[in-house]
Amino acid sequence: MNRYLPLVLIALGILAFATLMLVIAPGVQIAQHAVPKGLNPYSEQESRGREQYVSLGCVYCHSQQPRSPDQAPDVERGWGRPSVAGDYVFDQPHQLGTMRTGPDLLNVGVRLPSESWHLTHLYQPRAIFGWSIMPAYPYLFEEKAEAGPEDTVVVLPKGFGPESGVVVARQAALDLTAYLLALDRTYPVPEDALRDDGYADRESGS
Amino acid sequence: MTRINKQKPGKIVKPGEDFEPWESHNPVPLPVIWIAVALGIWGTALLLQEQDSKVVAQAEREAGEAAAHDAAEGGAALFLANCSTCHQPNGAGVRLAVPPLQDSEFAKAGPGVVAQILLRGIDGPIRVKGFTYDGHMPSFAEALDDAEVAQLASYVGARFGGGETVLAPAEVAQLRMTHSGSGSWQGGAELASLVADLPPQPPMPATAEAGLDPAISDLIFAGKGDVWSCASCHGGLGQGAENTPRLAGLSQGYITKQLHDFRQGERHNEHMSFVAKGLDDAEIDGLAAYYAGLRVDSTAQPALGGDLARGEQIALQGDWGLGVPACFSCHGPSGFGVGAEFPALAAQQPAYVASQLAAWAGGHRNNSPLGLMDRISEALPEADRRAVSDYLASLPAVPAPEPQAMARIEGGEDEL
Repeated sequence: MNRYLPLVLIALGILAFATLMLVIAPGVQIAQHAVPKGLNPYSEQESRGREQYVSLGCVYCHSQQPRSPDQAPDVERGWGRPSVAGDYVFDQPHQLGTMRTGPDLLNVGVRLPSESWHLTHLYQPRAIFGWSIMPAYPYLFEEKAEAGPEDTVVVLPKGFGPESGVVVARQAALDLTAYLLALDRTYPVPEDALRDDGYADRESGS
Repeated sequence: MTRINKQKPGKIVKPGEDFEPWESHNPVPLPVIWIAVALGIWGTALLLQEQDSKVVAQAEREAGEAAAHDAAEGGAALFLANCSTCHQPNGAGVRLAVPPLQDSEFAKAGPGVVAQILLRGIDGPIRVKGFTYDGHMPSFAEALDDAEVAQLASYVGARFGGGETVLAPAEVAQLRMTHSGSGSWQGGAELASLVADLPPQPPMPATAEAGLDPAISDLIFAGKGDVWSCASCHGGLGQGAENTPRLAGLSQGYITKQLHDFRQGERHNEHMSFVAKGLDDAEIDGLAAYYAGLRVDSTAQPALGGDLARGEQIALQGDWGLGVPACFSCHGPSGFGVGAEFPALAAQQPAYVASQLAAWAGGHRNNSPLGLMDRISEALPEADRRAVSDYLASLPAVPAPEPQAMARIEGGEDEL
């Protein structure tokens, strides 16, 4: 085995072919599609919230890709319609996720549009769901004796807040909540969206 | 091994120190090559064949979408799709509940009157063919365009009134301009101005203008120390979204019962148990009264990919093969709700309806009277649950009792 040149050439050829089919061709295909109507770029605050989302590692437990009814009962769970490629046009890097330890979040802003709900839930998930295994994020909040005029006070039932005083949200919590509330892909799927229609049922005569 | 065993021990040739093993040139047997080539051809053929199938699947989906978008053609189809739910396919109405169209004074008055009723809807008592009816007819101004209203009104006028006048879309456009923003007709009393020779119509009942208690208003829009505001999830107008339900137009008794059930753990939902535990009875009553009186245009859209025709069938006729009765047999004509036990379904958010049907079927919700919904939901397959949820979302909302109570959502976004 000493013919290195053909070996290297063949290896590079295979790599080039794979790159063409898996990276370049899909890239060209996706680039032909416009940004879907109804999808807005993230605002400055939402982008900061997105950085929080990435750095807190939300993606390890939460996906952002509702599946079609024939794959999973996601629409019945209220997670929204199956997503299409165009839904992620402003997501760099995407947060698709693979684990569903927690619910899908691509449409959480529609499903749970309450800022105060999110603040309570981020401060202590167990205040709402006794059985939740989501970590609490108390370091996104601070305890104060009295809320200032600009402060957002967190709604908490008895037993979950501090003995005295109030819990107010830090900027990071407000940013993250703004990002979560911006997650809304419920606009209609664009006409020309790339999607998988599967194959026709052979028995229906097609 | 066998070969070594056959050889005599003394004949084994030991390789020398400088021995290099090598492989002689053994070509792949020809049959193997033939099999590989045949498999390759077969695979390619299969791929091309499936490609056809994929195109067909795409065409099927697009045709289905087009069918869902395009309105039915012709007055008869429009009548079946929009009117026959309540007025019955033969136009005879429902005794004491829905006025008949057949030979009614209003159908006889010609398609112009019919079109004006279609565009505005009716609220309040109306006397038709000697009987008084006190129901709601929704406005079809948003649901049908000028050409469809013209077709439908001409059809109703001709079939049930015996007239021969045909209304033109341009005339409907004119009527639409005249009536835009005037709310629904206030019973037969107001319609009397439109139709000559009408028998005496019952008067409109006086509506008491009840102001909203500031404490309840605070609860709805600002929340309190241990309760989030209602509006923060259910929307500023109680319109709901995804699996957060629409509250506007649900009956007071139903909302009160659900909040009590959440508080006592009879109905399970962590968010709502959290909220209901922070409310006292007076607050629950106040909130229920507020949302029961609130009227908002529908914001729900079919979104679950359900088969609308199948959904309509379940809602109107049920499916006795599955043991499922028609939704409207209990929830009232057009799904506007009946009493405290049967909530309004029309214009409810489809994801919410589907999630509740799934919850009943799976035993996670069991506060339905006599376990009715548990059994019905169990009997419905998943695709049917989506179909009926989507169909209910396509219906117009419970109409307003008075024009000023109709809150409008401009451009799909509320103010809060």
